[in-house]
Amino acid sequence: MDWKLETARRATRRHFLKECTLGLAPMFLAEAQEGAAARLPVAKAKSVIYLHMAGSPSQLELFDPKPELVKYNGKPCPDELLKGKRFAFIKGVPKMLGTPYQFKQYGQAGTWVSELLPHFSQVVDEVTMVHSMSTDQFNHAPAQLFVQTGNPRFGYASMGAWATYGLGTENQDLPGFVVLTSGGNNPDGGKSLWGSGFLPSVYQGVHCRSQGDPVLFLSEPEGMTRSLRRKTLDALKDLNTIEKQEQGDPEIDSRVSQYELAYRMQITVPNVMDISREKPEVHAAYGTEPGKLSFANNCLLARRLVENGVRFVQLYHWGWDHHGSSRREDIRYALQPQARTVDQPLKALIQDLKQRGLLDQTLIVFGGEFGRTPMRENRGGVEGPYIGRDHHPYAYTMMLAGAGIQRGLNYGETDDIGYYVTKDKMTPRDLQATVLQQLGLDPYKLHYPYQGLNQRLIGPTDEGRVMKDLLI
Amino acid sequence: MRLWMMMMCAASLGAQVNFQAEVRPILAKRCWACHGPDENGRQAGVRLDVREAAVKNNLIVPGDSAKSRIVARVTHPTRPMPPSGPRLTEAEVDALKRWIDSGAKYEEHWAYRKPERRNLPAVKDEAWGRNAIDAFVLAKLEEKGLRPSGPADAATLARRVALDLTGMPPEAAVLEPYLRSPGAEAYEKYVDALLASPRFGERWAKVWLDLARYADTQGYEKDNRRVIWPYRDWVIRAFNENLPFDQFTVQQIAGDLLAEGTVEDLVATGFHRNTMTNTEGGTDDEEFRDLAVRDRVATTGQVWMGQTWGCAQCHTHKYDPLSHKEFYQLYAFLNQTEDNDHASDRPLLRLNKEVSTLVMRELAAGKQRKTRIFERGNFLTPGEEVEAGTPAFLPGLDKDAPRNRLGFAQWLVSRENPLTARVTVNRYWSRLMGRGIVETEEDFGTQGALPTHPELLDWLAVEFEQKWDTKGLLRLIVTSATYQQASAVTPDLLARDPQNQWYARGARFRLDAEVVRDQALAAAGLLSTKMYGPPVMPWQPEGVWQVVYNGDAWRTSQGEDRYRRAIYTFMRRTSSYPAMMNFDAPTGETCTVRRIRTNTPLQALTTLNDPVFMEAAQKLAAGAMTESPRDPGRAIFRRVLLREPNKLEQQRLALLYRQAEAELRAKPGNAQKLARFDEVLYKEDRPVTLLPDARTKPREWRYQTAEPVAGWEKADFDDTPWKAGPGYFGYFEKPDSAAALATPARTRWDTESIYLRIAVDLPEKMPSGFQMPIRTNCSHEIWVNGVPALTNVVYERAGHYEYELTAEGQKAFRPGRNVIAVKATRNNGTNVGQVFDAGLVAVAPLELGKPVRPDVVRAAWAVVANTVLNLDESLMRR
Repeated sequence: MDWKLETARRATRRHFLKECTLGLAPMFLAEAQEGAAARLPVAKAKSVIYLHMAGSPSQLELFDPKPELVKYNGKPCPDELLKGKRFAFIKGVPKMLGTPYQFKQYGQAGTWVSELLPHFSQVVDEVTMVHSMSTDQFNHAPAQLFVQTGNPRFGYASMGAWATYGLGTENQDLPGFVVLTSGGNNPDGGKSLWGSGFLPSVYQGVHCRSQGDPVLFLSEPEGMTRSLRRKTLDALKDLNTIEKQEQGDPEIDSRVSQYELAYRMQITVPNVMDISREKPEVHAAYGTEPGKLSFANNCLLARRLVENGVRFVQLYHWGWDHHGSSRREDIRYALQPQARTVDQPLKALIQDLKQRGLLDQTLIVFGGEFGRTPMRENRGGVEGPYIGRDHHPYAYTMMLAGAGIQRGLNYGETDDIGYYVTKDKMTPRDLQATVLQQLGLDPYKLHYPYQGLNQRLIGPTDEGRVMKDLLI
Repeated sequence: MRLWMMMMCAASLGAQVNFQAEVRPILAKRCWACHGPDENGRQAGVRLDVREAAVKNNLIVPGDSAKSRIVARVTHPTRPMPPSGPRLTEAEVDALKRWIDSGAKYEEHWAYRKPERRNLPAVKDEAWGRNAIDAFVLAKLEEKGLRPSGPADAATLARRVALDLTGMPPEAAVLEPYLRSPGAEAYEKYVDALLASPRFGERWAKVWLDLARYADTQGYEKDNRRVIWPYRDWVIRAFNENLPFDQFTVQQIAGDLLAEGTVEDLVATGFHRNTMTNTEGGTDDEEFRDLAVRDRVATTGQVWMGQTWGCAQCHTHKYDPLSHKEFYQLYAFLNQTEDNDHASDRPLLRLNKEVSTLVMRELAAGKQRKTRIFERGNFLTPGEEVEAGTPAFLPGLDKDAPRNRLGFAQWLVSRENPLTARVTVNRYWSRLMGRGIVETEEDFGTQGALPTHPELLDWLAVEFEQKWDTKGLLRLIVTSATYQQASAVTPDLLARDPQNQWYARGARFRLDAEVVRDQALAAAGLLSTKMYGPPVMPWQPEGVWQVVYNGDAWRTSQGEDRYRRAIYTFMRRTSSYPAMMNFDAPTGETCTVRRIRTNTPLQALTTLNDPVFMEAAQKLAAGAMTESPRDPGRAIFRRVLLREPNKLEQQRLALLYRQAEAELRAKPGNAQKLARFDEVLYKEDRPVTLLPDARTKPREWRYQTAEPVAGWEKADFDDTPWKAGPGYFGYFEKPDSAAALATPARTRWDTESIYLRIAVDLPEKMPSGFQMPIRTNCSHEIWVNGVPALTNVVYERAGHYEYELTAEGQKAFRPGRNVIAVKATRNNGTNVGQVFDAGLVAVAPLELGKPVRPDVVRAAWAVVANTVLNLDESLMRR
């Protein structure tokens, strides 16, 4: 029995009692009962590593080559592409923008990858590229919330929270849902992206920090040693036992157990989070430098976490919002260094998991919250000296790998300029359904009763589909 | 257990049917999602929520269950209804049959009927009760074959009611007279003193602010600050002054529309200005204004009526009688305010020279918006136009009532309204008794739980709406015998009533986040009683605030503002105060009717290790040593729990003290840190300026604007050929602020980039925690002795802002000469000018001197205090 579930028990015992039917073992947990009701007989993925590229990288510079668009470069955007459309910053009639980067086909699948990702191009036969993603949100925070919590507004439960609610974690001494951030900023949607919403807060993601305590308050206050802490915990246990004898409330026992878990976490978490224990060749492969705050370090940490039984690891890597409103957002100058921060670690993560036999049970998801426009952004109706693209919800690319996902598949197509999906459209709802399914949870059944509705990650309608075509 | 439950089932067979308790829940839960009020979602044209429709086509044949097709459908051997989820149980089918056989009479949902005040029920044990509440509770207990527990002892009761009413331990002057001679009369006096304490308003305002989704920022991506704390202060005052709940309501919903509205009435309208404002670049203001209005409709439904109206924004409610159209009729009431998701958060009310706060203002008559139904809730697909109106299932507006927000507000607290008093009474009951009479405080609709004590709920509701007297209601509850019972539980009682829904014992539950903090500070003697004003920033770990495009920083408050009550802590929606978040305090993003209490290791880590709690332990120990030099352990215990430790407890604490003392004697450095923990913690108290910036004594930097050769950022680079000049660097076409005028550009820079170098000497005893106050609207990279120490993309920023250097940057400093190198590059789009200026500040090293023997004793007691603050009992209200 894992600690997340154990702790949730008291909070929502009412569900247990209300739903209690004859013959149910009283040990069985309320949460587990409702969450577990959605469990499927087969689970391909034990864990998920979700690499969210906050700000949204340009599919047109990285994954979805459009020679036709290059031909139209500098021509005004046709009216029919603008009519009735809302953009974040584009005003009036923007010009079409071809990519300045070269693409080549790689691997047996002949997957197109741009020159910005020389490392990733070597592992394309391990992954599925979905070129036909399409969302309905075009601002960062709502779009991030939509894909991560199933709703563009605040207050809903995140994918990782749903996963731990349905499945618990495999390691009692670690949080079941860990969040790591890099790129200099937290994502736009803030902590709600890993919140538990209406689910009990035990399911919320634990944001592990690269500097200071990895988990807040994990280390003792200055002057307090571990051995002194042990003595205080022993005293607490004894004193709480005295109280239990007088008061009889079983809650007291669960408090004692939480304090013991906290103590174990103090030992386990720093060990798992310490990447300096890895061999030099591992650091060479990922490009990691212990002590630094980087996407590479977080990728290696993600591997260590899933290796240790963490259910859901969510990485947010900030810095993909290349609007072209300054040199730092110019796709010619800024995209390459940004792509470099993920290219090698991404390859290393896939190869490392594979080598350790973990790729088959770890689902990797990589992508942003939407795409970028085939038009050049003209903020305020004016073209500045720098080049970039606005937010584009209608078509973008994501990558999935591991845990029952096809290898070397290119799925979905966009039109000649990458504006619309022309074949096999996939939405964030489809992605959510597919992730839950791979984890062994029925996306339609996984629910939590709240405010008169059975809340679900995939939302109130059944439009989200498990993408069978992507699965082995 | 199994046998017992089967006997229960058997007992009900053939008995008379109770529609509300037995039949409605089956229909509501299992049928109405597809066969209910929502015509778009309705399957096969079958409707089972109203009798007229249900009796068509022999679906239900009143009086004859055998002929009723519904029975055949739910008992179908292979394809039973409902198509998903488990089959109806035999007992459920039986209830349906009995109901049909007895005429299939529908009854209105209990909560939509006006509460009626019935006579008090007869009870056997007439000696037990103290007021009307007890008659209802005891009658139920007797019916269930349970007996009430004895009264809690005076100390326990004193702590319980103080935490419930004021959210913190009582002041000694109030507590001591009661503990000296406890008794019914003394207890009532004690309660009255608590109700009269200013601390009362602070506690109950927090309960209300959860509902109001109060926070000090705008939410969404940027989550900038806003000034809405005057509203928070208004709520505190309203509770302390016991503003009648009907006025409390009207002022918050429509204070701006009152005929002789005061400034206070306007400030009260901040209630619905707590919706979020999205200032993310490129967002559509109308889209988020619409979301704010929906939130106001949903929140109003939740708070006053326990209704889940939010469900009807996309389609007719699946279960409750609220149509899609009616949602937008409610929306129309709230759709006429001036605010429009603008970054400025207008309209604002200017309270004095410094403070303007968010308020509601109604649009002028000619400028009012039309309200249309949004198809599937999408604001881009407006449908039929609707007028403001109230839902058909509830009594309508008064004939003479204005058809606007004011009329709507008055309707909420009309005595004809069946829900408001019930919902409010239930919420207050739940805060005091651990669970609501209706457990689903947020849902009094058909999906909600049924009341455990319906007659009591109605009795209280009718009592409450006589004068809408909140303090009176709370007083009534806490002076009942039900409330005053001891909370100890026997295994037998635990098995028979694990949730304590029949109240055969006192409630025992986890303290709210705010109470956990306030109690610790109060026991330590640290808690400030300063009231009102801008939110404060007690200590929190570095790096918790990190918000996109918003360099706003958490700066630990000074003096007593560090120790204010939790309600005054700055609430940033996207970055909660960690100790609050870990103990389940809401973020202010949405209306929270009921906090779910959890139990996690993160909570244990917080109260064990959070330096704020360790500081409280240090001060608690110090206070106890002064108060009771011969037995500090006992005093520590008493300060937290208000009771004396028993012998076993005392022995165990003494043992811990001896263990701690022995260990700390061997490590006097640790003892010193624990004994003087506050000095260790508050680095802010030891600032040193290592390099003054342009505001004070600008020093000369070396600079050039052409790109220098590689290695220019290294410490040993020869910059003597570079030019020299003081900050700030840049120019302004039109200085846009007083700050810009006060510190002029001393060195003109108008090219794209500038490269700067300066040497800083550091002492042998190194400072730490280096920060650079920087004023700029340019992107910049900074190196310390050639090590990259800071990179920022900045577009606009008015004044100096203190940037924390990276860990690598921090480590790069050494005693003696250090070189700071800067490359600043202007960003496109700036046409007012460009500016760069920087300084360097740090924290002076801690000088504690040599440890002394008394440190060991103080530290050992601090360890004991840290332990006592973590006792289960300390973190419970029991």
